[in-house]
Amino acid sequence: MKSFAGFWEYVRFILARERIVSPLWIVSLAGSAALFASMYPGLFTSADALTGMAQTMDSPAMVALMGPVYGLDSLSIAMSMAQQCLIWFAVAIVVMNIFFVNRYTRADEELGRFEMLRALPMGRLTNVVATLLCALLLNVLISGLTMLGLLVVNLEGTTIMGSLTYSFALGGIGFFFAALTVLLAQLLPTSRGVLACSFAIFGAFYILRAWGDLQANVASYFSPIGVGIKVAAFYDNNLWPLAVLFCAGIFLTILACAVYIKRDLGEGVIPAQPGRRNASVLLKSPFGLAWRLSRNAVLAWAPTALVAGAVYGSVVGEINNMVADNPLLQQMVEGSSAGTSLVGSYIAMLFSIMAILGAVPVVNAVLKIRSEEKRKRIEQVYATATSRTTLFAGYILIALLQSLLFMLLSTLGFYAAGASTGLLVLSDLLQASLVYLPALWLMLGFSVALVGLLPRLTTLIWALFAYSFMIVYFGRMFTDQLPSLAFILSPFGNVPQLPVETLSATPLVVLTVLSLVLVAVGLAAYRQRDLQ
Amino acid sequence: MPVVEIKQLVKKFGQFSALDGIDFELDEGQVHAYLGPNGAGKTTTIRVLLGILRATSGEVEIFGKDAWKHSVELHRRLAYVPGEVNLWDNLTGGEVIDLLLSLRKDGKNHKERRDFFCKRFELDPSKKCRTYSKGNRQKVALVAALASDAELLIFDEPSSGLDPLMEKVFSDTVLELKKEGKSVLLSSHILSEVEKLADRISIIRAGKIVQTGSMEEISRVAAGRTLEELFLSEYKEAN
Repeated sequence: MKSFAGFWEYVRFILARERIVSPLWIVSLAGSAALFASMYPGLFTSADALTGMAQTMDSPAMVALMGPVYGLDSLSIAMSMAQQCLIWFAVAIVVMNIFFVNRYTRADEELGRFEMLRALPMGRLTNVVATLLCALLLNVLISGLTMLGLLVVNLEGTTIMGSLTYSFALGGIGFFFAALTVLLAQLLPTSRGVLACSFAIFGAFYILRAWGDLQANVASYFSPIGVGIKVAAFYDNNLWPLAVLFCAGIFLTILACAVYIKRDLGEGVIPAQPGRRNASVLLKSPFGLAWRLSRNAVLAWAPTALVAGAVYGSVVGEINNMVADNPLLQQMVEGSSAGTSLVGSYIAMLFSIMAILGAVPVVNAVLKIRSEEKRKRIEQVYATATSRTTLFAGYILIALLQSLLFMLLSTLGFYAAGASTGLLVLSDLLQASLVYLPALWLMLGFSVALVGLLPRLTTLIWALFAYSFMIVYFGRMFTDQLPSLAFILSPFGNVPQLPVETLSATPLVVLTVLSLVLVAVGLAAYRQRDLQ
Repeated sequence: MPVVEIKQLVKKFGQFSALDGIDFELDEGQVHAYLGPNGAGKTTTIRVLLGILRATSGEVEIFGKDAWKHSVELHRRLAYVPGEVNLWDNLTGGEVIDLLLSLRKDGKNHKERRDFFCKRFELDPSKKCRTYSKGNRQKVALVAALASDAELLIFDEPSSGLDPLMEKVFSDTVLELKKEGKSVLLSSHILSEVEKLADRISIIRAGKIVQTGSMEEISRVAAGRTLEELFLSEYKEAN
């Protein structure tokens, strides 16, 4: 067993390195699984509500998003929870596994750390197999704790077998992607490539499952995520998906070992492609640099906005049922606007939430210039004939683009998913959403001001973000109790909520002027201050 | 007229004086070495010169113009290599070189010089910066600076990551720059390199210049000691 020399020592070494990150993942995943479950009884006060939710879940958009609905004949709260939660926790656990495995395989190798270990009397296969064993352990721990948590929460319809299949379906999907990442780490020469390829394959499997579930065809059996949710937790409680996932994982592990033994350290089976020897015309300007560094964020947020909009849009048809059955929702939707149509209130509420979410890419685009400064990459740029204003303006422009893109795309997603109900008018929707742009610009303005005036305290913007979120999300339940100042203090609280309220220009003009002033002040301060 | 002229430069960070009355001159066509241990204030001086930090008091001029106020136009005529080169992970070395060259906006075509120096420093510009070693990252910054054909070059510990062969290439290059009439500010603590290249030397300690003069003057002060012995004795006095 020379190939496994130093195996247990290495396992211990991994566990020691993981003593902080992994426990955090374990606690937050298992903890939030229990926490979400415990909120379910409050959502369903009647059997009708449960049926209504199941019908909503049975719409094409929702099936594509979360998988097929099962057990309509004997619905229980536990079942409903499993249908809505399993796939999201699966996404989280896959992300964890991909990062975990990459950390101990290709990333270590790329950073040259692994070389030191291989100089020790350590077997050739020790690293690969020990990493996967630790990943397996991690997945089993999360599954076990999740199962325990579900049993403690004990939703209506909870069974031991149901909790077991639910929890270990998560672990099974996680382990499959751990093994897949190990294999990719052997094939690709950079850790960036391993992460990108792992996530791309994960995305492809997700789409394959969505397609298979929509068409009710065999395709979802070829996706590990599709297989995982076939446990039909709290209903059929199938065990075969767990066995399939585990065996597929072991198969990938063996494949990875076979590749690993044959290759040189530091190399991949697929060699690194040489990059561009010259910069394109597009890159050769301050804005080009800012764009290049922000491009991935723009490309990632665009589909996020579309999907987020579509998720909310897909339930438009169910609103009347859903709200009527749920006093909590009723209070949220009607808080500010008794007497108007439910769909109208829903749209007003939705876009205030969307706008808040849209602040994330906007603020991030501005703060990017600060992170460039912190990483000490910016001084080389300023050592050239690039003025601070020019470079910062580039990042601000990208933030503007992000604000527009997010509101437009989330509106289009919403419309596309809900148009079939005949309740939506695109131009009204656009008005209701774009009216939030000045609020986003004010967030942009605050960010610029912070980067200029208080560069060490730029995280303060997230305090304003959190406050706005609370006010928009929960504040509307207490409209009468809260002083109006509480709403004015949040940029989003000042925007007229269309179509419930009437459009008035004054707050929008004030917000826009205020953001212009903040941008000007921030830029002036940025020009004058020391760079880190 | 000196290319770089610093008079009584003070830079404070809160209560702490990083630079406490620095005087420094770099004449045209000369190599002026700036010596001192880590934390003495070499990099701070350079960052003030580049307009990245603002002087608390004193005069800082490049080509006779205020280094803070006119930083953008001055930077067309100078090139800089930082001591610790941090690059963008997913850009290639070639892209970074082109980017930095074009941001200088000096209206020159750098292609020939760029390819020449890539070859000379044996740099593969097609690799992503993430995969470069410290020495290779330094080469990227060096090529970008050397290819610029700027009148003034500011090097902050430029050869700290280079191997002996590349160190030699670098010092040969500096000697050629001198022949071309360029001015060089060379911050370093590799004393053999300094002895070979410098026309003038200034030694900084805890934010103050403790020795300055031409090579001959410094040799006289050293009185038979090597530069290294002089350097070490300056610092032992402080401790």
